[in-house]
Amino acid sequence: MTTVDALLAAYLSHQLGAKSVRIENLKQISVGWSHETWLFDAVWEGPTGVESRGLCLRRDPGNALLREMSDLAQQFRVLKCLEDTDVPAPVAHWFEPDSELLGAPAIIMDRVPGECPSPWRRAGREYYAGAAERGVLPRSFTDALVAIHTVDWRGAGLDFLGVPGDGDGFAIREIDTWERLIEESGHPGHPILDDLIGHLRANAPVTPELTLVHGAFRTGNVLIDDDRVSAVLDWELQVIGDPMYDVAYMLTELNREGTDLLSNVVPRELFFERYQEGTGIEIDEARCSYFQLLYAMRSAAFWMSAAGLYADGRNTDLRLARTEWSVTVALERAATELGY
Amino acid sequence: MSLSSPEQLRRLAAALKEEIAPEVGDEYPRTQAFMASVILQRVAREVELADEHRDAEVSEVRALAEELTPVLRDAPPEVRLALEGLDTPNVLSLRALIPALYGWGADEPAAQTALARIRDVLRADIDRRMEIAT
Repeated sequence: MTTVDALLAAYLSHQLGAKSVRIENLKQISVGWSHETWLFDAVWEGPTGVESRGLCLRRDPGNALLREMSDLAQQFRVLKCLEDTDVPAPVAHWFEPDSELLGAPAIIMDRVPGECPSPWRRAGREYYAGAAERGVLPRSFTDALVAIHTVDWRGAGLDFLGVPGDGDGFAIREIDTWERLIEESGHPGHPILDDLIGHLRANAPVTPELTLVHGAFRTGNVLIDDDRVSAVLDWELQVIGDPMYDVAYMLTELNREGTDLLSNVVPRELFFERYQEGTGIEIDEARCSYFQLLYAMRSAAFWMSAAGLYADGRNTDLRLARTEWSVTVALERAATELGY
Repeated sequence: MSLSSPEQLRRLAAALKEEIAPEVGDEYPRTQAFMASVILQRVAREVELADEHRDAEVSEVRALAEELTPVLRDAPPEVRLALEGLDTPNVLSLRALIPALYGWGADEPAAQTALARIRDVLRADIDRRMEIAT
């Protein structure tokens, strides 16, 4: 099997028009749940001497949680659309659909400086608590969401993502999306989920304004450099939709590990004030509560998909086998949020 | 003396967690060994509680079907058909009835009564599942 560094060296030699490219400091930083991510330095002889560039490879091994909804071509296009906007995002250079060349469909983008502490680990929680005390990151984190929600998405060409219909079109489209993933998972389902879906369909809210929506905006999905967001990552769930979908994700207790700070880092009052002032959008907590129920459905869909990938042998990672019981936890939460 | 299946599984889980996983050098297989231990513990619990849980489920779904029959006597045919599905007394057989009730109408009092009673059964079911999941 050709190693990742050999594949990268050959690929970049062709793309850069350089005779030989060396791959240095190659390191895989995440495995299993979604795409593979590799960081490395490309070093080559340029016309004026040795050149180097820090890059990031993101590959889709074809067994990711989102199945065929996981679309690197779309992610690449989104990143290109965001290049001239205020949204902090990595600059993407190449999308390669041919698995022969990089081992799987892949994107190569700039390596953005910064770190991404996991909010689910003690060290991460301590990091965010410290950053909240210093006060810069809460503002920068909120401003990143403001930038996403105020981007001129039509002007940036992001309408290719699909514009939902008027009224409750956005919520219904999301329900349809996650119902499709549940069906594809092959999971036997559970009547609590049928109850939740029935409730969501019967109570779908009207979306008064459409924005770009990240879909998973939280700590752990942004890079932080010197207490500022240097890049928003994980462009896998973005849609044109209701900005309260992201706000609900900020407000949910699911993204807080025993702290009152939203997403572990932003004081609630600061977020409300800065977000509303920055976007001109009033936070509608009723809509946020609805979208939190929709997240319960989405969580169940994710875990069903993961358990199904293990069950049908597409992915042998035992962490996925364990998600069979995560489905139960998501359903219990849904039942509680539905009031029983 | 022989071990019961749950106890056998629990001991395998303990060996994986305490003796095997810590000796594995590479991160990925070590994580897999720990995960295998967690899964075996859950399966042990599932095996241990299977009879008790199944008996409770059968009894609750049968009682629910009896209660709902008069409540849904005047319901549309699709609801009554879905109710007949409860002849198979397990919680998954409620999967057809719930969408039928929503289809009948969220404001229909009989549908609301039926949903409220169904939710009691679902809460009991998910509580039992949580005994294994957490």
